[in-house]
Amino acid sequence: MGGFFTRYGAALAGALLFCGFALASPVFLTAGNLAVVFKETAFLGILAIGFTLALVTAEIDLSVAEVASLAAVVTGALVHGGQAPWIAICAGLAVGTACGAANGIAVTVFRVPSLIATLGTAAIAKGLGFMLTAGVAFVGRWPTSFTGLARGSWLGLPNLVWWLAGVGLAAWVLVKWTRLGAHLVATGEADEAARLAGIRTLSMKRLALTLAGACAGLTAVLLASSLSSAAPGMANDHFLYAIAAVLLGMCMFEPGRPNIPGTLFAALTLKVLGNGLVLLGAEYYWQDIVLGAIILASVALSAAGMGRAPFVKKLNFRTGK
Amino acid sequence: MALLSLRGIGMRYGAVQALSGIDLDVTEGEVLALCGDNGAGKSSLVKILAGAQAPSEGTMALDGDATQFRGPQDALRRGVATIYQDLAVAPRLSIWQNVFLGSELTRPPLGLLDKRRMAEASRGYLARLAVDISDMDTPVERLSGGQRQAVAICRALRWDARIIIMDEPTAALGVKETAQVLDLIRRLHAEGRTVILVSHAMGDVVAVAQRVVVLKGGRKVADRPVATPAGALRPEELAQIIIRGTA
Repeated sequence: MGGFFTRYGAALAGALLFCGFALASPVFLTAGNLAVVFKETAFLGILAIGFTLALVTAEIDLSVAEVASLAAVVTGALVHGGQAPWIAICAGLAVGTACGAANGIAVTVFRVPSLIATLGTAAIAKGLGFMLTAGVAFVGRWPTSFTGLARGSWLGLPNLVWWLAGVGLAAWVLVKWTRLGAHLVATGEADEAARLAGIRTLSMKRLALTLAGACAGLTAVLLASSLSSAAPGMANDHFLYAIAAVLLGMCMFEPGRPNIPGTLFAALTLKVLGNGLVLLGAEYYWQDIVLGAIILASVALSAAGMGRAPFVKKLNFRTGK
Repeated sequence: MALLSLRGIGMRYGAVQALSGIDLDVTEGEVLALCGDNGAGKSSLVKILAGAQAPSEGTMALDGDATQFRGPQDALRRGVATIYQDLAVAPRLSIWQNVFLGSELTRPPLGLLDKRRMAEASRGYLARLAVDISDMDTPVERLSGGQRQAVAICRALRWDARIIIMDEPTAALGVKETAQVLDLIRRLHAEGRTVILVSHAMGDVVAVAQRVVVLKGGRKVADRPVATPAGALRPEELAQIIIRGTA
């Protein structure tokens, strides 16, 4: 642990991948293609940051994608119905946050392991999404005051990149530089020691899961704004990507720990990989196969080197509660 | 006046009477050993002293004022720090993170963590305990058992605890590390702090404690100084008291 390769090896591999695609495909480095990659990274990154925050407290949120889909549908329905954009935006954020809070209560009050609680929330969110839409997408020419949220650009960079940068910076400062963040980390690292030191560990878990929901809500609003449409299940493609980003991120910078820079860099790497595979003519199903392999390899790496990591125990259902 | 005194403390878990009628006076600055076989009631008493649980009956006074701890944090704030055997430290966090666990220092104007000040202060506490570690960013899991105990003690020093309760601090340690921990206890004693040492290790007890209290079946069966006119208490004698329950 702590060696250069353990810290930066995975990140280096990502950078090499980038260079490889740049050499192999003439389209890869064009401004248009890179913009697509960065925008996709923004959705994935914000969603994965939420997942990271939950995992920092050693809880797993499997509902982020379904919750984002539900929040997008609610936002889309309101915009489509002619409501003021700010109402729709607040509603989307509120739906995400409320789902996150529900997860938090299920885990900390009713003591349902997060793996199960969030799976339940995911199913409910999925069902509600279809109920609200009857399975049909909201598509339309929505006001630019809403679509501009994600579509415009500022200082030469797409708005979505700014959103990602803002959320990423806020999450990083929270985790690394605030007392609250220190308490989130301590809760995830050593639940009982933290509690005995006076940290309100259950509140920390509730907060982290709520923030994960809020991130899902923001992702939803940006997705709807960017695509000018909302459909049930629209964020689901990001589900495995988000998990892979967090787990791969744990192999970077701070090996064995969920960390924000790792998540962000891994999100970019995964989107570069997906994009590059398409450009090189790989069939669509290769993305899933490669993604699955990355998830397995990341966790194997973490488990081998850092078997005591709380999240590894979590994944083994050994919650110790 | 006793720093901490217990009167008629009892603890019942359902039908089980874990403690009954415990009277205990802890004098400022002493190292008091709390002994007893498994199930004698030591951990129940430690939990009560630590504020982790309220006694079913009896009263407690700190500095002569009747007191009830509302939780471990409350006890800590009032100067009673407890170091639990397995739960004292977060293994993957650094030394300074462990010392300031739950009470991190921040720096104005933004209220961000003052990592440098916490690292420096941790270094200072360790120096007071004569423990030589240079890098405060070292994860505690990479330290020796004795050094880990030192980090846990530093957290008590950070709160300026007057009473430090150590629950089986040497149970998992080798000979050399045990000697290190006993040395830490002597240093705390030299600083004038009160130490309550809960231990199975008779040799450790007679080596550092001034007084021994023995529990058996939830009752206090012995309360005597280690040094007597007839010479120091021998570990074998102490073992006999623990087994027979009579002094």
